[in-house]
Amino acid sequence: MAFRNRDRREFSAGLMFIGIGAFFAIGAENYAMGSAMRMGPAYFPKVLGVILIGLGLIILVRSFFIRGERLPPINWRPLLLVLGSVLIFGLLLEVAGLAVTSVVVMLVSALGGWDFRWREQLVNGILLAALNIGVFYYGLGLPFKLWPPWS
Amino acid sequence: MSLFHNLVYGFTVALSLQNLWYCFVGCFIGTLIGVLPGIGPVATIAMLLPLTFNLPPTPSLIMLAGIFYGAMYGGSTTSILVNLPGEAASVVTCLDGYQMGKQGRAGPALAIAAIGSFFAGSVGTLLIALFGPPLAELAFQFGAAEYFSMMVLGLMSAVVLASGSVIKAIAMIIVGLLGGLVGTDVNSGVARYSFNIAELSDGIGFVGVAMGMFGFGEIVSSLERAHAAGKVEVSEVKSLMPSMDDLKRSFWPIVRGTALGAGIGILPGAAAVIASFASYTLEKKLSKTPERFGKGAIEGVAGPESANNAAAQCSFIPMLTLGIPTGAVMALMVGAMTIQGIAPGPQVMTQKPDLFWGMIASMWIGNAMLVVLNLPLVGMWVQLLKIPYRLLYPGITLFICVGAYSLSNSRFDVFVTAFFGLFGYFAQRWGCEGAPLILGFVLGPLMEENLRRALLISRGDPSVFIMRPISASMLAVAAFLLVLIVVPQIRRKRAEVIVDEG
Repeated sequence: MAFRNRDRREFSAGLMFIGIGAFFAIGAENYAMGSAMRMGPAYFPKVLGVILIGLGLIILVRSFFIRGERLPPINWRPLLLVLGSVLIFGLLLEVAGLAVTSVVVMLVSALGGWDFRWREQLVNGILLAALNIGVFYYGLGLPFKLWPPWS
Repeated sequence: MSLFHNLVYGFTVALSLQNLWYCFVGCFIGTLIGVLPGIGPVATIAMLLPLTFNLPPTPSLIMLAGIFYGAMYGGSTTSILVNLPGEAASVVTCLDGYQMGKQGRAGPALAIAAIGSFFAGSVGTLLIALFGPPLAELAFQFGAAEYFSMMVLGLMSAVVLASGSVIKAIAMIIVGLLGGLVGTDVNSGVARYSFNIAELSDGIGFVGVAMGMFGFGEIVSSLERAHAAGKVEVSEVKSLMPSMDDLKRSFWPIVRGTALGAGIGILPGAAAVIASFASYTLEKKLSKTPERFGKGAIEGVAGPESANNAAAQCSFIPMLTLGIPTGAVMALMVGAMTIQGIAPGPQVMTQKPDLFWGMIASMWIGNAMLVVLNLPLVGMWVQLLKIPYRLLYPGITLFICVGAYSLSNSRFDVFVTAFFGLFGYFAQRWGCEGAPLILGFVLGPLMEENLRRALLISRGDPSVFIMRPISASMLAVAAFLLVLIVVPQIRRKRAEVIVDEG
């Protein structure tokens, strides 16, 4: 059993599954189980949750017996910037309208890439934002506020 | 109604202006994303699902289907010209296709790839038309127990044929099943796992999950693997005409590839990718001059390209006739149908024949369109390949955001998408694949319902699943598949195939 040499992927995966399984299985305590014949709302999730915990445990224990390589370090920049830009979209949209939000989101997510040049990305941002607006707002007629409410 | 009549009916549906237009749009977009590395059919279909809400079901599904098999065509273009697979199933085409390109024979390679794909597509369409109705007939005898077992079989096959760790794939399926259960339980009216958040009591929309895991997942991992936004070396395309020798050499590979692809496509799992690898291996084994493979053997292009297209078309069969998805793309299609209010299954054929036969006919039309899109217009795609990814992906990010929001005009869906993007990132990092999760997500509520119903009817007797013959045989096959995976020799063989793939 080698904790230090454990396969990190498997370890983390196993831990994750145990966590998710536990979440659902314990959460199911709030609902009625019912019987096999008349399954209550808790039945299926609890059974599945328990199975998941089991699988997670197997994966976890197995991880001690495999020699694993170190995982490459997480590249936080693209991850945080791209996902951050999505959050910004959600937060900004109803405040600033589609047009402004689009450009901001594009710039932020582009920051997660490489070789970022302001002028280039600004033009790119406006162009693709316009394309998006064209497709969704004009093309499909989806209800969006294009401009901030106070304009 | 005879096959002929059905097909004619299908064509009248497919040839309507609206359906033709959306078929074209789908094929165009499909080729586009097939050509562009870094974004694949799953992510694209996930992103475009919101767009289909405003469309009637037939054009939506025609378009989404077009994206799928269109990507198969487009992927080969990049493989041959740039040695970069546009999407997974085209990896094999890089091997000999690119070499042919370097030898100045990019044109014939592209032509043969397109011809092979067209042949395969046509055969595939025919197969769907032939086997659809009898399969649906069979499915009418299905009761709740059969549906449940069928879904188990579907999930199990997807796991077995997937490339990663089996146990993690099963675990991901269960995570998906659980995720799909979030929301109001139809039977009891209890809101499960909703924590008093109103939006959650409707459930987590699988579209948001798909867009997050596949859309953002692909973007972030592409960025991680960032290669310089420098110039790509694109092989020049001179003449498109294949020589007589090329045609002669390609004939049997195309036929064999089609047959192989069709067989594999019907089975759940990462069908198109596996089919193309299998075809390459087969052609190499059958060839009298295997040493030419890897150096520009046209058989190495003809076979796999036909195989992946045949697999793509035939993977529609279980979905359209029985309602079981064979992979992530089909799971999304099932989802699209559900959103449109159509319950996928054998009754689709009788209740919505325009959808069923129209789709079949339009698949053939789509294949024809794709030959035109890919061959004469190949120059256009070549230009596109020169756009640096770093300019493209923010637009894709924005597209996903807007699409997510438009699902129900709610910021919540955007946050869900972001959450699953994060989740997907770590899941992938730890070797867990997203496709099984999406399958589980889409099937979760259905499985529970059928399980419930089956047990209710049988008064709590679980043996009902084994006593009924159809259900029993499906579970038996599922068990068999599981054993297949666990038995060491097969395991080693599988590992071989995967290593070859990698």
